[in-house]
Amino acid sequence: MWHIAKRELYDNLNSLRFALATFLLLGLMLTNAVVHLREHPERVQKYIENVTAHQNRLKSHANASFYELAQKGPGTLHKKPSALHFCAGRGEAFLSAHVSSIQSWSWQERGLEGLWSLWYPSATPNRNNVDPDVTKVDWGFIIGYVLSLLALLFTFDSISSEREYGTLRLMLANAMPRHTVLIGKFLGALISISIPFTLAVLVNLLVISTSSDAYLGADAWGRLGIIYFIALLYTCLFLALGLLVSARVQRSAVSLVILLLAWVTLIVFMPSTLASIAGRSLPLKWERVSQRERRAEYNKHWHEAHGDQRKQLQLSGEYVTKDAEQRERLHEAHLKQGISQVNRARSITRFSPGTIVEHLLESFAGTGFERHLQFLENVQSYARQFREFIVDTDSADPESLHIFGVREGVSQKSVNPETVPKFEDTRNFRRDFDAAAMDLLLLTLFFVVFLSGAFLVFVRVEV
Amino acid sequence: MLTTLIRRELLDNLMTFRFAVAVLIMLLLVVANTAVLLKDYEQRLTLYNDAVKTHQQQLQEKKTYSAGITYAGEMRIDRPPNPLSIFNTGFDKRIGNKVTVSHTYVPSLWDSGWHGSNPFMDMFASMDIAFIFEVILSLLALVFAYDTLAGEYEHGTLRLILTHSVRRGHILLAKYISAMLCLLVPLLMSLLLAVILLTTTPSIFLNTDDFLRIGGIILASVVYLSVFYLIGLLISAATRRTSTALMLAMFVWGFLVLVYPNVILAVIPRPEAPQTRAASAFGQIQQIWQVEFSGELGHFLTTNASPEIDWDLGLTGSGAEPYAYSWKDPQTLYYSFENIFAFEGFDEKEEHKIPHAQSYFRFLGRLVTRTADQTWLIRKPALEDIFIHPANVKRIWLKLSPVGLYDAATQAWAGTDLHGARDFFDAARRYRQEVIDALYDKEAFGSRQWFSSDKGAADWSILPQFSFQRADVNTNAKRALPDVSILLMINIVIFILIFLIFVKSEV
Repeated sequence: MWHIAKRELYDNLNSLRFALATFLLLGLMLTNAVVHLREHPERVQKYIENVTAHQNRLKSHANASFYELAQKGPGTLHKKPSALHFCAGRGEAFLSAHVSSIQSWSWQERGLEGLWSLWYPSATPNRNNVDPDVTKVDWGFIIGYVLSLLALLFTFDSISSEREYGTLRLMLANAMPRHTVLIGKFLGALISISIPFTLAVLVNLLVISTSSDAYLGADAWGRLGIIYFIALLYTCLFLALGLLVSARVQRSAVSLVILLLAWVTLIVFMPSTLASIAGRSLPLKWERVSQRERRAEYNKHWHEAHGDQRKQLQLSGEYVTKDAEQRERLHEAHLKQGISQVNRARSITRFSPGTIVEHLLESFAGTGFERHLQFLENVQSYARQFREFIVDTDSADPESLHIFGVREGVSQKSVNPETVPKFEDTRNFRRDFDAAAMDLLLLTLFFVVFLSGAFLVFVRVEV
Repeated sequence: MLTTLIRRELLDNLMTFRFAVAVLIMLLLVVANTAVLLKDYEQRLTLYNDAVKTHQQQLQEKKTYSAGITYAGEMRIDRPPNPLSIFNTGFDKRIGNKVTVSHTYVPSLWDSGWHGSNPFMDMFASMDIAFIFEVILSLLALVFAYDTLAGEYEHGTLRLILTHSVRRGHILLAKYISAMLCLLVPLLMSLLLAVILLTTTPSIFLNTDDFLRIGGIILASVVYLSVFYLIGLLISAATRRTSTALMLAMFVWGFLVLVYPNVILAVIPRPEAPQTRAASAFGQIQQIWQVEFSGELGHFLTTNASPEIDWDLGLTGSGAEPYAYSWKDPQTLYYSFENIFAFEGFDEKEEHKIPHAQSYFRFLGRLVTRTADQTWLIRKPALEDIFIHPANVKRIWLKLSPVGLYDAATQAWAGTDLHGARDFFDAARRYRQEVIDALYDKEAFGSRQWFSSDKGAADWSILPQFSFQRADVNTNAKRALPDVSILLMINIVIFILIFLIFVKSEV
């Protein structure tokens, strides 16, 4: 078996395709590294600026008064950019990098202003963008498209050409079981394609890690290792597919045509076609908040309670808090609709191994949709924490009336800025892995199916 | 002799397995995708119709002119989806498709919004027929071409043919013509099916112009196909061995189709920071609004018959509170001033202020319109410099690959290119002018309905209707033909190259 693998390897190393593949992969990975070094520092810089601005805002509100802090809320919360943005950064542009807490109205007559509620803005990078539409070159692109194509180019003729030349018959005339031949060929192809790929990856990482701007921590290196193995598994899948077709078809040219068309369908067309079938971008429904009626009702009660100031305060507080709750509920429902549509489209596009590997890379690189959901969860749990903090601080003040939403109803003291909870956008490796487990299994399943298919075909085929 | 050669080649090609696979895959992909794309188009059409209806309703709900005709107001116009976007989506699904019409600013692409769908779904790449052709046609052409000459060298059949008194040029021509004829079969069949699906869709009406545009797309596709066939032939003639030719052809394909279009924009140097240009232009615009405009307004307020310094004229009444606001965005150089009054009634004692308010708004309407037009003269070239020129440079870089040329050409034919997208905003600007003319004609600026609905609400029917016609087919052709001609030129150059190599080569 090793003998065959070695022979394959030597064959490949001297071939034109090996040289071209090395050249192509190196070029792409270098481009990727250079672009990352150009863009990442800016991204990090912007994030740091945003976070500082956010903290200053919190501080100034806390110093001003408790009411200010409670009413204006935590401000804009920013998503921490991933250090592995170069691995899978294509989807990031379409996901908003922040969630804001907004105050939507003020009612000067009554001296009221809206209580903050979370608002999830959507990123629409294309609306005013006149640049031509191109895919960003990240590892996802290099692995998903280029590496899979190379895997097919390395295997399309591995069995059919031996049959064409008659060397297969010669080989099998020795006491050599067929599965050994198949595995040997598979390993040979795998090693010969992982040489240029590993080389390119190393050059890429070398360039990136020489710069201090794009620091990779221990966690990032671990994730990179996993990504590397995912890439190899994905390559194996296409090598197996190549062997399958190559064993079945008599002539190499035909084998190549079939493989290329299969590749184009699986990798290029299936993801977008399936997504558009699944999502068909249904419009999201916005329920309208009927301010007018609620305001009229509040006005009525308020006038009824004429003279009773505490009652009026309570009514105002109730109106303000209810309004904020309603807004937040609406925003959340809207967000959920959008997310469930995307999730549906994402699960349907899993029929394509290209999409699976993209999801996997995104999970481990800490970018993309799963990561966005994690960020949203972080934001929501922080919002809860913030609200608890407000309630606790207020109840600690014996002079307060504990009526939220109105200036007179809450504690009049200022707040120590140090005690205000800070937003931390953390990532959980276990969660990433849980999200990826399904995709990982699917990818392995694809691989096993193709490899056993190749085995069955090769064992039964006449030489 | 030539016909004999062509017939032989044709038979050779038609009988192959790869031909059958090519036809099948092509038909399958194009038909399936056209069906999906048509559904998508219908969806967008429904969204568009809904949007138009809601915008009209919302406008009718506004009781005063000043509340409706503002940047934040309800006077919105929408861009209908382009039925030919199924051939090349281009900017049709990307650029904003609704824009507010107001005398307070001149609308442009950068002020547009979006009606409809879930913005998260932009994450998924969209697909169109041109993309299928870009990928598949080029692949098929190369697969058909790689062994035409190299195979004959290897098998020695070329020597056999040349022992007859056949000219080498004829052999080349025969091979080219017959292969192109073969490749045209899947191309035309799939396009024909797409067109049939298109015409049988009840919500789409195609006119003669549209058929001419589709003809243009077919022409571009044929020329594109030919480029890749010739590239394959060139490789085949130069390498003389099928296996080498095949590998080389595949890598060339991967480079031209997959790598180059996506890598090149990341590699080229980024344009000089347009920030300074934006800042200076925005400074000028701000200057005009804050100094000239405010000065004139202040002058009017203080010298008017009943002097009043505040913009709200001291008017009080029932209904929404009046407000004045300057919207600005330094990124897109947007700046406008609006003054919205939506009273529903006044006290008796306020009545003497009404004529004064009317003359104020008559003056303000003219002043705002004039200032908006004046700032547009600064904003327009600045926007061109900041956004359009860098994008055009990128577009030129992309056109160094035949894929980019083909994409540009089909976009231009379908009318979904940047020009096509900007046509809508040109129409929006014309419509704004019409609206302003109508407002002048009916004396709307100086009318009581401008700021109050107590003596009858604003009559929105005085305004003209907006309708958007896509550019005519001549314009499309003018935009597409340069790219198609370049593709043709590439064809000729490669053909000459092949001829030179083939004639000089030893058999």
